[in-house]
Amino acid sequence: MKAAAFDYTAPTTVQEAIHSLNSAGDAAKLLAGGQSLLPMLAMRLARPSLLVDLNRIKGLSEIHRKDGHLLIGAMTRHRDLETNQTIRQVVPILAHMAGHIGHVAIRNRGTVGGSIAHADPAAELPLAMTVLDARFTVQGPKGTRTLAPDQLFVGALTTSLAPDEVLTAIRVPIPSSSTHSSFLKLARRHGDFGIVAVLVVVELDKEGRYEDVRVGLGGANPVPVRARAVESMLVGEKPSETVVAAAAKAAVKEIEPSSDVHATAAYRREMVEVLVRRTLLAASELH
Amino acid sequence: MAVKELAPTGLIGARVRRVEDPRLLTGRGRYVDDIRLPGMLEAAILRSPHPHARIVRIDIARALDLPGVYDVITGADLAGVVQPQPVIWRVMADQHFSNHLALAVDRVRYVGQHVAAVAAVDRHTAEDALDLIEVEYDPLPAVVDLESAMAPGAQKLYDDWPDNITGRVSYATGDVDAAFTAAEVVVKERFHHGRQAGVPLETRGCVAIWDSFAQTLELWLSTQSPHLARDLMGEVLGLPVHKIHVHVPDVGGGFGTKFDFYAEEVIASILSRRTGRPVKLIEDRLESFLASAQSREQVIDVELAATREGVITGLKGTVYGILGGQLSTVGVGPSWLATTMLTGPYKIPNVAVTCVGVMTNKAPAGSFRGWGQPEATLAIECMIELLAKKVGVDRNEVRRRNFVGPDEFPYETKVLFTYDSGRYADCLQLCLDGIEERGWWKQQATARAAGKSLGIGFGFHIEATAFGPSRILNLVGLTHSGFDEGVVRIDSTGRVTVFTGQTAMGQGIQTALTQVAAQSLGVPLDYVTVLVGDASTYTGYGTGASRAAAVAGVVVMKACAKLKEQVFRIAAQILEADPQDLTIEAGQISVKGSATRFITIADVGDAAYRRMQGRLPDDMGPTLEERVVFDPENLAWSYGCTAVLVEVDRETGVVRLLDYLCAHDCGTLINPMIVEGQIHGGAAQGLGGALYEELVYDDKGQPLTTTFMDYLMPTASDLPTLNVLHMETPSPHIPGGMKGMGEGGTIGAPAAVVNAINDALSDIGVTVTRTPVTPPRLLELIKRAQAADSEGRKAKGVAK
Repeated sequence: MKAAAFDYTAPTTVQEAIHSLNSAGDAAKLLAGGQSLLPMLAMRLARPSLLVDLNRIKGLSEIHRKDGHLLIGAMTRHRDLETNQTIRQVVPILAHMAGHIGHVAIRNRGTVGGSIAHADPAAELPLAMTVLDARFTVQGPKGTRTLAPDQLFVGALTTSLAPDEVLTAIRVPIPSSSTHSSFLKLARRHGDFGIVAVLVVVELDKEGRYEDVRVGLGGANPVPVRARAVESMLVGEKPSETVVAAAAKAAVKEIEPSSDVHATAAYRREMVEVLVRRTLLAASELH
Repeated sequence: MAVKELAPTGLIGARVRRVEDPRLLTGRGRYVDDIRLPGMLEAAILRSPHPHARIVRIDIARALDLPGVYDVITGADLAGVVQPQPVIWRVMADQHFSNHLALAVDRVRYVGQHVAAVAAVDRHTAEDALDLIEVEYDPLPAVVDLESAMAPGAQKLYDDWPDNITGRVSYATGDVDAAFTAAEVVVKERFHHGRQAGVPLETRGCVAIWDSFAQTLELWLSTQSPHLARDLMGEVLGLPVHKIHVHVPDVGGGFGTKFDFYAEEVIASILSRRTGRPVKLIEDRLESFLASAQSREQVIDVELAATREGVITGLKGTVYGILGGQLSTVGVGPSWLATTMLTGPYKIPNVAVTCVGVMTNKAPAGSFRGWGQPEATLAIECMIELLAKKVGVDRNEVRRRNFVGPDEFPYETKVLFTYDSGRYADCLQLCLDGIEERGWWKQQATARAAGKSLGIGFGFHIEATAFGPSRILNLVGLTHSGFDEGVVRIDSTGRVTVFTGQTAMGQGIQTALTQVAAQSLGVPLDYVTVLVGDASTYTGYGTGASRAAAVAGVVVMKACAKLKEQVFRIAAQILEADPQDLTIEAGQISVKGSATRFITIADVGDAAYRRMQGRLPDDMGPTLEERVVFDPENLAWSYGCTAVLVEVDRETGVVRLLDYLCAHDCGTLINPMIVEGQIHGGAAQGLGGALYEELVYDDKGQPLTTTFMDYLMPTASDLPTLNVLHMETPSPHIPGGMKGMGEGGTIGAPAAVVNAINDALSDIGVTVTRTPVTPPRLLELIKRAQAADSEGRKAKGVAK
């Protein structure tokens, strides 16, 4: 478990980082918090010829609130996301979900951008960003582009980032203060990736009907997904156990889970139904 | 029950803080990987990617050409140079042995088996060289479970064996058939304990230093059993043992994993001999999951005959040990112990048990804390609760009706062993009082009323400790001994050094032996140093099998008693008193009844080493030292009652551990805090085996759990508070009355968890028989029970 030989560079600007990536072709890897990359290097599952360390670039780990949005630097550590007072106030679910990532030691090193670019479909932040409809700022040799979640996440552990592009910031729209959220992760142990995870964000109209419903499913497809059919099914309905149960059943139709050592696809399907029901009940304050 | 000799009280029995901890907790420990020697090479091993294959060809030329590589060896280089890896537990007549060398010669039988080894300037280069070794394999079908290994016409692992069974052994007493014919009630079940391993935080490792002039081998080993390693290395290399010296640095956890003797030690030694340089070989985590001893995987068929009152009249059992592609150092040992301990703490007059060892294309099965006892306890303790349900008697009343009574010791089990002492019903009651006090029954009733599924389960275990009486162990089939040797020396400043063959691996043995020495001699704790980890004093069976405190404790106690006599003789000379009139306390020796006539033990040390004239009696020679050897006459049998409170989520199959209590008796307590620590750690591994940890192979024999993301050890966040209650019933066969207790927490936990889950789901009638109880497995059982339940209701015409 010793990494194969590689070169290492630690640029101090994003432009230099892009230049290093660009000159290495597709044989370079970005090093952010190292929580996924280092084990892959040690097991020689990844053999980049060059590591471009982002940790010396200033200004990539700031958190701002601006024009109804949160701007989160890609090098923000999970622990900072979890404990940031602004985030706790305006998007508490995001801080809450960050607190579900691994353990404190992992959260102290792992970065928001690293988790998103790693694109594990069962991870907290890709799911959170999908449901909160975040935008990703990506810089490359040809300039800056902005991607939506369904443009960035293209497959399991796969994004649409070019080999010479760097994810530098995430913009999260601040939901209205009358929304309710609920996140449930079914994991074998505290701190593990979820077998499946569900995040729902719900807003009710004056009559108490669903006005806006977002249902996100993690670990159930190659990428985190919004269960759009379920969402439109619910809009206009009055929350009830029956409505929620039907929605949970429908959610199962939107997933194509796979099997692994922890659970079969069939188990994941059943759990998506259970978790969608429980999160909807919680967010709709029925339980 | 006559107790021979009780340990002196005072420091023995006190909650003394562990003397080992400050340096370990502040990162000052020195482990085998911290050892760096001039000119040292680092080695790496090429391992089989196939569960079963013939080796057609190996080409090492490119690896040898890599700059920085000193040597590359394969099985061909070992043939004729080393003997097969030894197996010390040989409990079956006519057993077939794998007789394998440290490197595969022509065939591999599990993923991770050693195929070639490289020594290079550093580990990175060695791993680079592994990439350059070309091996051509001819894959063979793999057998991965009991059914496929035992099937008629199954692929054989060893062509010269008749099948995949290494051997069988049976034990029978009484008339089992008659007992079952006459039985009013019969209960029958099959249990399956999952494959689990010790997984110490510090992986295994060694540094081998061959001296080609003196023809000696010096080894630094992260091991629990330096003497066994030395003896077995001697056998493998054909060296007399005085040519081998084994040192043990700090050991970062052993758990039985580091009891066994592995191929790596041999490979590093051969590489050192060939290169003329020290060679370090450290197992990484991936390798640890592939090829360190795996354990526990057993299928146990068990059948009870009983009366309508729940009195057991007969037991039939077959333990299938699902072994790996080769036999480990301990062979079928753990499966054999599971077989011989199937009767648990119960008086069962008619018994017939059989152990069958079955080879599969998985990593070798070896030692892990518990060593067959958690599996046996899972089977018998679940059977007790199933029997109780069947006869409609409270499960703990069934236990009481079958326990060996307190006045029935020594009790000969109908299978091989003699239990020394115990108050089983009292221990059960201590446990029941404890959970009453913690309010479990109320909590369960309240939760059930609110629609939640809370369950309470018990696992009453017995634990074979103080391994062991050498001649009896030899008779059973162990090719090794169980005695313990130690030396205690008082130096010229009156301070005490204990030389023990035991290994410190985090369990606190140095503190325990410090307490025994200080108390036995009458000196302060900080006068005592305990030296461990060197093969200069011998112990027969390493540090395992819950023996260190019991056997080394006796050695230290006896050596100190003899030393104390010498101390008094010297002091008597100096004080011009009769030795009979002296006492020693806190290192000060005084004449009884006199406040002014005293000297210190430092004066005695000075008289024994330096200023002897007129102070050391004429008939005494210089120095103060005693060597004691203790070979116990019997094992000591600890026991305990584990109870757990669980909550089951019926929609997900998730089990949450809410509370844990173990009432425990390990005879004379040396340090209750250390005992609790051992039970806590053991419980974590037992609860882990019950709910989380499993080494999974796919149906082709590929291991799927090779990282901590897949092999799930419970963390502190996943465990409840672990509560321990003590009682003390001294062993009559161990001077001092101590019994071992290193495995107790592990042994009772799986049974308690399974029984608690069954209790939580008693309304729908779920019977869990397989560990670990993962959420998908449990959900499946719940759904099946619910379906059967609703069928049953329909049939009876009852509305739901």
